[in-house]
Formats: sequence, structure tokens, C-alpha cells
Amino acid sequence: MVMTWNGDEIVNLSREFLASNGASKHQVVHVEAQQAYETPAAWREGSLADRLRAVVTDLNVASNKGLSERFDSTIGAGTVLMPFGGRRQLTPNEAMVAKFPVFGETTTASAMAWGFNPYIMSANQFTGAYLSVVESLAKLVAAGFEHEKAYLSFQEYFEKLRDEPERWGKPTAAVLGALMAQIDLGAGAIGGKDSMSGTFEHLDVPPTLISFAVAVGNMKRATSPEFKGADHRVVRIAPRYLADGITPDKDALLEAFSIVEELVDFHDALAVSTPGYGATAEALFKMTLGNRIGVSLNDSIAADDLFTPAYGSFIIELADDAKLPAASNLVEIGEIGTTTAAYELRAAGETLDLDAIQEAWESGIESVFPYRSKGADKGATVETVTFETPKKTVYVGAPVAKPHVVIPVFPGNNCEYDSAAAFERAGADVSTLIVNNLTPAAVAESTQALVEEINKSQIVMIPGGFSGGDEPDGSAKFITAFFRAPAVTEAVRDLLKNRDGLMLGICNGFQALIKLGLVPYGDIVPMTEECPTLTFNTIGRHQSRLVRTRVASNLSPWLAKTSVGDIHTVAISHGEGRFVASEPVLDLLKTNGQIATQYVDESGVPGMDLDVNPNGSLLAIEGITSPDGRVFGKMGHSERSGNGLYVNVPGNKYQPLFEAGVEYFAA
Amino acid sequence: MVFRVYVEKKPGFDVEAQQLAGELRTILGMTGLKSVRIVNRYDVEGISEELFAQATPTVFSEPQVDNVSNDLPDFGDAKVFATEFLPGQFDQRADSASECIQLISQGERPTVRSAKLYALDGELTDSDMDAIKRYVINPVEAREASLAVKETLKTAVPTPGKVEVIAGFNEMDAAAGQKFIDERGLAMDLADLEFCQKYFAAEKREPTITEIKVIDTYWSDHCRHTTFGTELDDVKIDDATVKAAFKRYLELRHELGRDGKPVCLMDMGTIGAKWLKKNGILTGLDESEEINACTVKVKVDVNGEDQDWLFLFKNETHNHPTEIEPFGGAATCIGGCIRDPLSGRSYVYQAMRVTGAADPTVPVADTLEGKLPQRKLVTTAAAGYSSYGNQIGLATGQVDEIYHPGYVAKRMEVGAVVAATPADHVRRETPAPGDKIILLGGRTGRDGIGGATGASKAHNVESLELDGAEVQKGNAPVERKLQRLFRRGDACRLIKRCNDFGAGGVSVAVGELADGLYVDLNTVPKKYEGLDGTELAISESQERMAVDVAAEDVDEFLATPARRTSRPPSSRP
Repeated sequence: MVMTWNGDEIVNLSREFLASNGASKHQVVHVEAQQAYETPAAWREGSLADRLRAVVTDLNVASNKGLSERFDSTIGAGTVLMPFGGRRQLTPNEAMVAKFPVFGETTTASAMAWGFNPYIMSANQFTGAYLSVVESLAKLVAAGFEHEKAYLSFQEYFEKLRDEPERWGKPTAAVLGALMAQIDLGAGAIGGKDSMSGTFEHLDVPPTLISFAVAVGNMKRATSPEFKGADHRVVRIAPRYLADGITPDKDALLEAFSIVEELVDFHDALAVSTPGYGATAEALFKMTLGNRIGVSLNDSIAADDLFTPAYGSFIIELADDAKLPAASNLVEIGEIGTTTAAYELRAAGETLDLDAIQEAWESGIESVFPYRSKGADKGATVETVTFETPKKTVYVGAPVAKPHVVIPVFPGNNCEYDSAAAFERAGADVSTLIVNNLTPAAVAESTQALVEEINKSQIVMIPGGFSGGDEPDGSAKFITAFFRAPAVTEAVRDLLKNRDGLMLGICNGFQALIKLGLVPYGDIVPMTEECPTLTFNTIGRHQSRLVRTRVASNLSPWLAKTSVGDIHTVAISHGEGRFVASEPVLDLLKTNGQIATQYVDESGVPGMDLDVNPNGSLLAIEGITSPDGRVFGKMGHSERSGNGLYVNVPGNKYQPLFEAGVEYFAA
Repeated sequence: MVFRVYVEKKPGFDVEAQQLAGELRTILGMTGLKSVRIVNRYDVEGISEELFAQATPTVFSEPQVDNVSNDLPDFGDAKVFATEFLPGQFDQRADSASECIQLISQGERPTVRSAKLYALDGELTDSDMDAIKRYVINPVEAREASLAVKETLKTAVPTPGKVEVIAGFNEMDAAAGQKFIDERGLAMDLADLEFCQKYFAAEKREPTITEIKVIDTYWSDHCRHTTFGTELDDVKIDDATVKAAFKRYLELRHELGRDGKPVCLMDMGTIGAKWLKKNGILTGLDESEEINACTVKVKVDVNGEDQDWLFLFKNETHNHPTEIEPFGGAATCIGGCIRDPLSGRSYVYQAMRVTGAADPTVPVADTLEGKLPQRKLVTTAAAGYSSYGNQIGLATGQVDEIYHPGYVAKRMEVGAVVAATPADHVRRETPAPGDKIILLGGRTGRDGIGGATGASKAHNVESLELDGAEVQKGNAPVERKLQRLFRRGDACRLIKRCNDFGAGGVSVAVGELADGLYVDLNTVPKKYEGLDGTELAISESQERMAVDVAAEDVDEFLATPARRTSRPPSSRP
């Protein structure tokens, strides 16, 4: 390998030398006796209530919704299982599952799950690593995927090993444990990364081997852990354990996997969970959260059973007509209880109020990762806006069978694939235009190209994303700067005023529309203090989840295929979605029917609670239109819909905006 | 001329200032704090007065939510200080402002510098102010800025001299060698140094510093898993179960005819897959000389038809960078995780994040010297990772944080991704003499120097002070451009082999593409002038790729981004 710089040869190294990896290193290893793992003392003593409370407030079990929801979980319109399931979006999924990123339709999905418990690995690196593999595979199986199709990749993270044999003994024991698990369970690690730098002076990280398991399968197999209904049987499928009481017998575990897979095949498993860090107690508790369904356990289940590690076992809610599967004597299968409409946990002679336990779980680490309303917004509702006019905005030009849509893509936009797919599904002809800003000449060319595209389009759609990284300190400035170029502004006016064209802006696109004035004014106008806008979410961070929105007005052609009062479950993902406007402007929008959609709760009532209204928008406004309804801006990603998405959250996830936009031109 | 503007969110919109006030009260215990104001300051050079006036209410501020002034706002009795990024650190705020102005002017980009002013009102002592500054300024990326007006934003560009030849290298004794390793901040050990001495002695010359840095990068644990490759000469085991497992491992080696290979952690880690494959249990692997990520062959149902696809997955850690600069470290963790399957020409479509921390609810006052508070680490790292993932447009399907007191030693920041691509997009060929190497993506700067070796070094109290140059800033929009390009069959099918700039810069990314290479470092696109040969050779970036393309395909490949596909995306190009 030769490198020159300023005419000098500054590197000339032989491949053989570079590839040697330096002087060969030698080391003596001493694996010390491995210790037994003990669960925390607070899980082992006291009443069932005390013990369950200790589990759910453990930082490793407590609700991390406030952490998780700042990550976009739905972009790509491929997410099969939301991070949190149930109508309340509270039960964490066992694996992440997404459809393959094809152009068009697919039923093929992948799943990935992780396994690792730092406390077990601190005591026993060998067993801990073995159980990392077991847990990762069990979660895949719980999510509906098949262990025989699984592949693994490991992440090791250990203390600095120096040249001390005892320190070297830790990763050695761990890697051997993971090796035995691979051989025993027939799943191979085909990749991995290691880091041996986890030391700060006299402090060391716990021995860490995370197992990541992946599998590919049909998306229709995807299964989630939240209980689906009351009065269903709950069964436990548990492999026999080795003498240590924590490592599943390999043949028993493989049989347990197969039994669960078969239940999934026959759609007999309504909900599946596999106990991990917090044992069966955590698994059962989390199953109750999503749909607010309690569970009553049989008397045969002792409190201790719930708090003992149970890696590789499964808790399953059975469909009504499902038969209890047969098993060899290696696997214990038994009905352990019934789901209940009452939000209670009945076990070991105690009846626990799950609302109280849930509160403890939700507040466990909330001081660091807040996500719930406190104070005045908690539970607050606002006026339900309803506007119905017989005088809808219609298209009077020559019919267009296949309207042309242009989607400009600015640096940082990222929803153009999903938006184009949604329009194509609706029958439109879509052109995605990348705005190139590499040089001044490229900017001028892009401006010209966009003008030409708008001129031949019926619809302009500004997609979501983070144009310019939402900088400087505010979203959509890139897009508005571009649209304010006189030629682009004129092309937009011609589309809207002379050709009855439509515009749609979602998320970043909505931010652009409102900051241009296209909503609510229907034209590109200078911004004044009085203009409504979208600003930072009141929680001060990005929010991603599914929300419910209610159609408030039938003015817009975009909502022609919905009725006022329809409620849709739509993905949101944004940091600046808080709609603000002065009181007079709000009144005007209401009177004109320009308030298109509102965030609503489970009963359809708009509100200010963070659980309902993710950004603190005034009047819980999700979307507004121009005075004639032709320009529609909304925060919710209606384009992130499709077959088999978000199956662990109930609701109507299909909002036919794109179809309505296309049909508008057919008239 | 430098134009300056101050922009402050109006009351009710000042979410950031209110959040900081809350943190200072609850985390730092500043009970005497009455209010916090945060003002963004922009300095702009290379712009007309008219354009600046046009940009003020559109780019720098929004009339609905911001108050604007050209003079320092009146802060009354409040204590005021300003912060700015260290020179050379990527500043997305300033960068975007400059690009926005270009979109308006359709001319050259002006120079923009941003700073943030903090005005704190209340009963605050000098030591309170010091504590607050420590809380908001992470010295590895930012510093306190002057409140004075600037004459110019131009920075001095030193003309780098010739690359140093290490005089007397081959003759260094053990003491001199160790001193050299320490002074130059190398990750290699003395045995490696002696190995180098032998090589250069045989070559009858002394090495350049560039060569030493390149070698150090190549042999670092981060790039080559030195620890996992260490030969275990004697394995003593006190535990019966582990002993039995070790015996079984030796049997597996024997079954696979690997008795002669060194016993090492890498062998223990990879032999399971080899054995399962030999026994027909592990199937579907896609194996090639080129290794970008774990790759398996799968059938994917596309519009009702079964197609051959490749499925890729990858996990990655960024523990060290995240520990010292959690936002950038965690952002580049996911950036780095994406880049491996991306270099395999696949589309990354879902991510997972599994991190490790000590209890973040403990009071900040209990933080160890030389460490950031856990609360700051967990929240800032989450902000960094999510910022990058959200911007690049990657769905994050699971986010979990594992708590154990041991992670106070060093944070664990792990990302994992899945990716896929139609099999016929990927052509894997051994590079041939005469092939050209093309760099694409972000330009080279000084920010990406030393990451690979830094991660492999043990950590001490001084880390926070010294390792700043090892922190990269992520630039997600740039990596997304690579993703868009690599999702296209017409681009990918021209690529024989690809490597990313994640660890080791040109020296590794280009260096690993083929056995014999000629690299002219003057052709490397730079962010700014003044980089010397060594910096050009080893600076890393998540957002840069090197591809090997046949000489006759170069023009076609370079034209790909500009060639618009008029076909709708559902018919694959």
C-alpha cells in the first residue's frame, strides 16, 4: 500500500506486514469457580404485593416509555409490532419485527431480539452467556418466529484484561457458555463485536455478552405479549431445568420452542411472553398493561414460582377453541390461570390492584425519562370541533385519470419513499425530485426542475423528515427558503389558483406549509407575529408512537373519503408538532371549517393530556387546511400505513387521504 | 463584514430554557435560581446586508415564536456567558443556516458561526456559575465563547509541513520505545513496536509518523480484535461445567480438523457456526471475501413473487466516545452500525438500541471525578442516538437500557440493525489491477481522528480533557444520501467491493479493498484546508464510503446520482 501526499511518498507498507496484526500475543488464562446467581432480596421476601412492587420498580423492569418514545418507530411503513402494544400502548414487545423494505407489497418480515442479564453474568459468566442466547431465542419464538431459522450475533463488553489470567478467565468462560448454547440449540453466531475497554481506574463493567437473535418469517406469524381479552386461559410452558435450577435442559428447551411455534402456526396463541430479568412476575404484569386486562392465577401457583428465574419458559394466552398441546415429560405444560376484566392480579391468596402497581411501574424512572402529563394538562379535554358543509370543494377542470404528484426531497427529508408508495397505491403517477444543493449552479437547476415538475403536476406533496436537521433552531427552514424563490412561488400559485390543484404536507411538510402561509391562508405570504405556527413539543423532545385522530371537518377534498367523526390510529414522529395560534385565528379556523383533525382519546374526545395530544397543540389540532381545503397540512404520518402494520395496537389504521386526493381529479 | 443577530424564543415557547432551569434546580440543586434565558447568536460573513435582512425573519428566526435583536439583549442583573463549538467540530445549526441562505440567494454559501448565550438570574455564587458551566459545556466539543463582536470569521489555516520521519526509530530501546508510545498516544504495545522496528530495519529506512499511525490503526483492537486473537497458551479452569465445555470445544476443533490452529477467544467465538455448518444445521449463509456484516440468503415475497434477497444484520458498540461525549458518541454508534450493512449495498430498515448505565437517579453530586453524571449520560446519549436515527429515517423497534452499577466504569452504547437488498444488486468481485477507488459521502475533517485506537485504550481521569479530537459528530443527512444511492440497483451493480470509513479512515477503508493500492492523498475531498498527510490518511467518518469500480465504469457510476429515474420507485431501477 503506497500513499503519496504533496508529491512525497509518506506510506509504503507491505500487505503481508500490515495483515500480520503485529506481534503475536500470548496469554495464560485462569477461569475461576463460577458462582450461583441470586435474585434481589426484595423479590424473595414479604407479601406478594411487596415483592411485585420491588420487581416493577427495579430500574431494569420499570417503564422506559419516556426513553423509547423519542425514537422514530414507524418510518419506512414496515413496523409490524410497535415497541409498546395494546390499546394503551404499554406492553413492551418481545422482539422488533418489520416487513422487508421492498418496493410494493410483501408478507416477509424479520425479527430481532436480545438477551442478557448483567447480574447473572457477574456471578457466572458461563451460565450467564448461555442464558443470553436462550433468552434471545425465546423472545424470537415468543414473537412468533422459528428458532430453526435463527441466526445470532454477539456483543461482548468486558473489563480491560491486562495480562491477568483471572481477568482473562471471564470472557473465556462467557464465550464458552455462548458456544455451548449454539451447539445445544443449533443456532450459530455468524458475527459479533467485542470491546475490552470497560475499566475506569479500579472500576470494571460487569462481564457482558449480549446475544442478538434474528430470523426471517411470514409477518402474519408476529405475536405480541399483551393480553387480548378477558376470560381466556393462561398456560405456562416450561422446560425442565438442569441441577443449577436456571439453565434449561437443551432437549426440553427445543421441545418448548416447537410447542410454542405450533401454537402460533394454528393461531392458538393470542399473546405470548417469555420471562426474563424480572422472571414470571414481570412477564405476567406486563401482559396485563396494554389492554388493561387482569389475571387470576390458580391456587397451585405459589408466589415463589413468580419470582424464580424462568428463562426459556413461556406464558401464553390461549384462544377459546385452542387445545392444550401435548408434550413429553421434559416440558411442563399447565393452565395457570384466567384473564379477567377486573384490572387485578389474583395469586397466592392476594388480590392486587393493578392500577397501583402500574403507577409504581410508570413512575420508576420517570424522573429521568418523563412521558406523562403532570399538572393542569392531566386528563384535560377540549372542545370537539365539528364542521359539516354541503358545499364541498370540487375540481372543475378536465378529469385526470392518473394525476401526477411531485414530491420534492430536501436534504434531510426522509419520508419520500413512504409518501410515494402511498400515492402509487392510490393510483397516482409520482415523481420524486431530489433537491441538489452541492453547488450554486445545482441549486438553480433544482429550482428550475421543481418549477417544471409543479407545472405538469396536479398535486404537490411535501414529505416529512428533518430538512436541514430542523436547524437553525426551527423546522422546515430549508423548504420554506426554497419555496420562497419567486419562480417556485409562482408555480405554486398557478397550481392552486388557476388549475384547482392540491397540496399535502405531512410532518415536516406541514411545518413547511404553515411557515409559508399555505395553511391556513392558501398562499405563500410573509410571516408575521400573528401567523399560526408549529413549534417545539411541550415535552421538549421528539415523540413517536401511534395516536388517535378524529376528522373534524368535511371541507377538504383530502378528507372526502372520510366522514366527520371518523377516528383513525395514525403514527406520529416529530419534535415540533405543537400547533399554536391566537384566539381570533383559532375562532376563524373553526368557523371556516379549516380545523381538519384533532387528537382524541379512546372515547373520541380531544384533549391536552400527553397520552392523547403528543405535542401540546392548542385545541388538540393535528391538521388544518387552507380556506378552500385544497391545501392540507397534518402532523400524523397517514402514509405509514399498509398491510400487517402495528398489529399489536388495535384501531383503524387506514386513513384514505391519498385515495381521496387522486379521486378528486377524476370527477 | 460580520453580521450578528441574537434570537430568543418568546416566553411560552422557550422550552429549552425552561428545561434547563428545571435541570439546574433539580439536578444541580440551584434553589436560588430564578430564571434562565437562552439566546442563539449567529455571526455571518460573506453576505450582503440585504440578504442578511431577508434571512433574519426566515432563516435565523420566526416572527411567531422568536424575538430578534442586532445588539446584545438587555439581561438586567443576570449572569451571562456564551458557549460555542470547538473549531472544526461539526455544527449542524450553523451549517444548515448557511445552506438555507444559499437556497435563497442561489449563490455561494456564507460562513456562519453559531453560539448560545445563557443568562441566569437569581442568587448564584461564582461556584454555582462554575458548576452550571460545567453542566452545560462539555469541553471535548465546546468552550466558553467571547461576548465581543467579531471582526472576521476567517480562521488561520496553517500550511502543514512535510510529514515527519521518525529519526532513530529503529534504534529505540525498550525505555525509549515505551516513551514514544506514550508521547504519541499509540494503542500498540512494546512488542508491536519491536515488530515494526524489525520490519523497517529490513526495509533499511525509518518510518514516517503516518506509517506508524496507519499501523497502529490497523492493529488496534477496534479494527482487528487483537484481544480475541491473542493465543491462549495455558487455560486453567476451576469450574467443572466450564471445564467440560472447554473439553467439548477441543473436540469440536478436532472434528473440524483445526487442532493446529491457535486456541483463542476468536476461535471459541466462531467455531460454533463452523461446526453447525459442517453438520448441515446452519444453512443459508452468504459468504465472500468481502465482509460488511452478517449476511444470509433468504426468499422474500415481492408483489406475490418469491425473490432472492440478502438479509444482513449487525451490532456495534461506541462505548468510549459515548462516555466522553454522549450525544456525538451515541449518534455515531447508530451511524456506524448502519454503515456496515450499507457498505454491503443493503438498505438498513430497522434498529434496536441496548445500552448499559449505572443508576441515573442518583444525585449528580455523587458523580466520580473525571466522569459525566449518569443522568446526563443516559439522557444525552438517548438524544444523540435518536437524533441520528430519526434524521436518517430508520425505524427503531426496541430501546432498552440495562442498569448495573458496574457501568459507571464506562457506559455501554450498543446498536443493532437489520438490512436487506435484492441479491442481484450485489456483485462481489475481487478487485483487479487498474480499478479505480471512488470516495463518496462526507468530506474529510480533523474530527474523525483516532477513534479506532481511542476505543481500544483504557480510560483514566484525564480522558475527558485530552481525547476530544476522537469524538466524531454524526451527519445523518449525508449518510442518508448514501442510503438512497445504494438502494438503487443501477448504482450497486457497478460496485465490485465497498468499504466504509468507520474505523481507520483512508488507510483502512481504502487499504482493505485490495492487496496492492496506490493512493494520492491530495485527491481526498476535504472539509477545510490545512490537513496534513497523516490526518488525511487516518481521519474516520461514518458517512464516507470507498468503492472499487472498474475503470471503464467510473463515469457511469459518477453519473448515477444525477440520473433521475423517471420510473416510479415500485418498478425497481
